[in-house]
Amino acid sequence: MAGDSPKKIFKAGIWEDNPIFKQVIGICSALAVTNLMLNSLIMGLGLIFVTAFSELTVSLIRSFTPKHIRMMVQVLIISVYVIIVDIFLKAYYPEMSKALGPYVGLIITNCIIMGRCEGYAQNNPPLKSFLDGIASGLGYTIILLIISFIRELLGFGTIFGYQVLGSWWTNWTIMVMPPAAFFILGVIVWWARSVSGEDEKEGGAIS
Amino acid sequence: MNKSFSFPIIFMVVITAVFTLILAYLNYTTVDVIAYNEETDLRKTLLYVFDIDIPSEEPEEIEKVFNEYVGEEEVGDDTIYYVKENDEITGYAFPVDGTALWGTVQGYAAISGDYKQLLGIDFVSHSETPGLGGRISEEWFKEQFRGLDLEDVQDGQYIVYRPAPGGNVDAIAGATQTSNSVSKLLNEDIYEFINRRKGE
Repeated sequence: MAGDSPKKIFKAGIWEDNPIFKQVIGICSALAVTNLMLNSLIMGLGLIFVTAFSELTVSLIRSFTPKHIRMMVQVLIISVYVIIVDIFLKAYYPEMSKALGPYVGLIITNCIIMGRCEGYAQNNPPLKSFLDGIASGLGYTIILLIISFIRELLGFGTIFGYQVLGSWWTNWTIMVMPPAAFFILGVIVWWARSVSGEDEKEGGAIS
Repeated sequence: MNKSFSFPIIFMVVITAVFTLILAYLNYTTVDVIAYNEETDLRKTLLYVFDIDIPSEEPEEIEKVFNEYVGEEEVGDDTIYYVKENDEITGYAFPVDGTALWGTVQGYAAISGDYKQLLGIDFVSHSETPGLGGRISEEWFKEQFRGLDLEDVQDGQYIVYRPAPGGNVDAIAGATQTSNSVSKLLNEDIYEFINRRKGE
């Protein structure tokens, strides 16, 4: 992937290799925090920050890092940035920190970060890795926002907390519960895959 | 690439030390802010249960109002709070907690100084289903508890959901488990608090 232009990196992160519907990673949090748009946005921003800086750091020290302990180093770096996000939210956005609760800490388990560190940053220069982190994070955030838009609108009648549907609207409780995210995510993956018109590759199992 | 045995160990130790140092520094610089945020949260909750108006959302303002009205006192392991008016205690606030459908619910309840009225309740943390049980932290639900009579009550059943006889509060439709747990934990903790105070 060497020699990628920023445009190409962003195109890959947001569409061609979108972490959610192409690589199908980071699903866990996509299901968990998408009942409100604000939660999804903050989660997305947190993930963009962590992925971008983790990739940057991994890429900067990639030539000194002994190959066989690189995963330990990556986990260490990722957790450092996640703790930074956690401290930052607690100190300056206590309300948000309360709303997201344990999910901030769980950013560390998001496969997108480790996947991109291992798959991209380990073999690419720092600046490109940084951009790749932002692109992958954006791809993730966009999908999260689409899911939470549908869930919040139908489940609460609101968008970013503002009432948009009148009192005639009956909230769909199912939308607030985790199963709704499964349905919506499934539909999005289905739609995106049929639009991009790419067949599932033989043996291209996804985990 | 260095293939020696010791290099990876040294590398890991050094890199861990560096990052830990960064985090320790960050933690050190923000620890006061975080502690203050948590205090502000608690103050807001207590002012709410005592039904004292907060002039603004500014943490300093909240602190000022809080210090003006509310005092605290250690009883056993719990900290309870009181409001004084003309040297007479007009209300107590104390922590309430219990388990609900998905996990622990924690909050505060306030009762009048003569133990005859429930002044208000608020929840600090819960993990109930958003949109269903989670509605216990909505204004309309909590406001129902203001001014409930605690005097002529049988067997500590202070909170009874309508339409049961003697019902005084509406439960949340679709969240029976949560509603029942909340009334149970409030009834138990209020009963215990009043009896302990009266017994002194």
